[in-house]
Amino acid sequence: MFRDHVKLAFKNLRHRMSRSLLTLLGIAIGIMAIISLLALGEGMQQVITGELSSLSDVIIVSTGGNMFPSFGGGGSTGEYFTQRDIADIERIQGIKEVSTQLSGSGLAEYNGKKTIVSLTGMEVGVMTLQYASQNLEAGGFLNEGEQNKIMIGYSIAHDTFDADISVGGRIKINGEKFFVSGIFGKQGFGGSSSDSIVLMSSRDFQKLTGQSNISSIYLRVNNVNDAESIATIIQTAINENHGRKDFATATTMTSILETVQTITGVLQLVLVGIASIALVVASIGIMNTMLTSVMERTREIGIMKAIGATTRDIMSIFIIEGALMSSVGGIIGIILGVFGSQALTLILGSFMSMGAGGSFELVPIITITTVVLAIAVSLIVGILSSLYPAWKAARMSPIEAVRYE
Amino acid sequence: MSKDVIVTENISKTYGNPPLQVFALRDTNLRIKQGDYIAIIGPSGSGKSTLMNLLGCLDKPTTGNIFIDGSDVSTLNENELARIRREKIGFIFQKYNLIPTLNAQENVELSMGFAGVDSQTRTIKAKQLLELVELSKRLTHKPSELSGGEQQRVAIARALANNPSIILADEPTGNVDTKSGENIMQILENVNKKGETIIIVTHNMAIAQRAKRVLQIHDGVVQEGHV
Repeated sequence: MFRDHVKLAFKNLRHRMSRSLLTLLGIAIGIMAIISLLALGEGMQQVITGELSSLSDVIIVSTGGNMFPSFGGGGSTGEYFTQRDIADIERIQGIKEVSTQLSGSGLAEYNGKKTIVSLTGMEVGVMTLQYASQNLEAGGFLNEGEQNKIMIGYSIAHDTFDADISVGGRIKINGEKFFVSGIFGKQGFGGSSSDSIVLMSSRDFQKLTGQSNISSIYLRVNNVNDAESIATIIQTAINENHGRKDFATATTMTSILETVQTITGVLQLVLVGIASIALVVASIGIMNTMLTSVMERTREIGIMKAIGATTRDIMSIFIIEGALMSSVGGIIGIILGVFGSQALTLILGSFMSMGAGGSFELVPIITITTVVLAIAVSLIVGILSSLYPAWKAARMSPIEAVRYE
Repeated sequence: MSKDVIVTENISKTYGNPPLQVFALRDTNLRIKQGDYIAIIGPSGSGKSTLMNLLGCLDKPTTGNIFIDGSDVSTLNENELARIRREKIGFIFQKYNLIPTLNAQENVELSMGFAGVDSQTRTIKAKQLLELVELSKRLTHKPSELSGGEQQRVAIARALANNPSIILADEPTGNVDTKSGENIMQILENVNKKGETIIIVTHNMAIAQRAKRVLQIHDGVVQEGHV
């Protein structure tokens, strides 16, 4: 019987082809929006977590409750770690290497114009690791042992002085000459602090400023599984040194990863929520089409009842019709979603590349779960939207329905 | 002696409440036997359609009982009435009432589908019935591609699909030309000769004269009549 109902529903949909197609298009657009945004969100999450996962053995210790230290800005709280803190950390077992980020400021001069800039000093090896994900506009990273060389951010190179600075350019900082080894690409919103960075080796920093203001500590552990416990030990030790419970925050990449995943997850949910509005509108469209269909087919319903159709038969015919319409719409929506997500990625990718000053490799990811979910959602939307019209059809009196003109 | 297929005991049908109550049918007692060929006649508004709807289980009496093949159908719910209509009764309407999206064969198969008959049996039976009404060359034609007389013959084939014991025909020749009307009546009479009970509602005295028994209705009162 189910097969007969499907056949009957299919014939009815074909009979009202243009109306069915328009209704189906509503569902297709809704599903396309959801698929595109889910694929984009999934792709973004993969890019971000991929970058962070490669740093899973790293612990970042920063002052205050700031989980993400201000890269390049340094010392945002105005408090710094001491050599005693470093010595205490180095005593903890299971740590492979410890390096520090020094922060301060200096007077920079280029082409006759002087300005105060933020200076960041760090071990060259750590520098390469920490800034590996950032695009370089020109030049390269510092090499171990090089002196009086710096890397600068996009706005230092292009916006701070009267003339653009290029690789090999010479800048005076506190009267000392430095050569530009590399220029970072524009970071835009997320990494705006990196745009005004002046990065040098720890040795040059100390030589230049005579200070060792440690704003952050980077360390790597031998065993990734110990990272969390070591982070707790470090945090307790440093807080004890400074006599405050909230002086330092030691964060593992795993916890940063979890936080980022939570944020991207929420973002994805919000995007899907917005896209779902299209689906709600589409489901109202299905209900409207089905109600019109019930009205038009009043006589037909009466005939079917007169020749022995039960309430269940009538309901089933109309629900199958709605489900059929929305699931075909769902399948078309998935296909459109594949192209939609590619288009959205291209637009977003080019936008972000412009901002980042380099290539931004975002690939939309459509998982089997997303596809199954989309089909299930469209099917459920179809069934729910046709429940009321089907019920209305089923409770019609056969006498009234047969008489209906 | 033939058995009773329909028995009505003091059935009445009223609409509205006193003092504005309207009696569509009053205390009607009928005994209809297997193989009967009955014409129901009467002026418009006399209660013919009400009686037809009650006998066809499309409606329930306000008072009284209706027995079809011995079982009381007056107290059955909608789905149980649907089962009775499916198994015991075949309807033929004045306006044919075929499903416009289905072809002739599918229209005949539809009621068998509701009765749970398997697809293969349905197809064979539908073809046989359409051959009986001389429409074997019109199996795949939709109602819009058939003449009035042909549509009514499809409706007869559909009415016979589930081997009902009663055929209820409401003005079966009302919308067709004389020749087609004669053709339809002959088919129904042949069906009756095979033992089927035929009840026809008609205004046409010539049609009524062909019946073995005539029921006349005036103001909701049913009487055995003569034409």
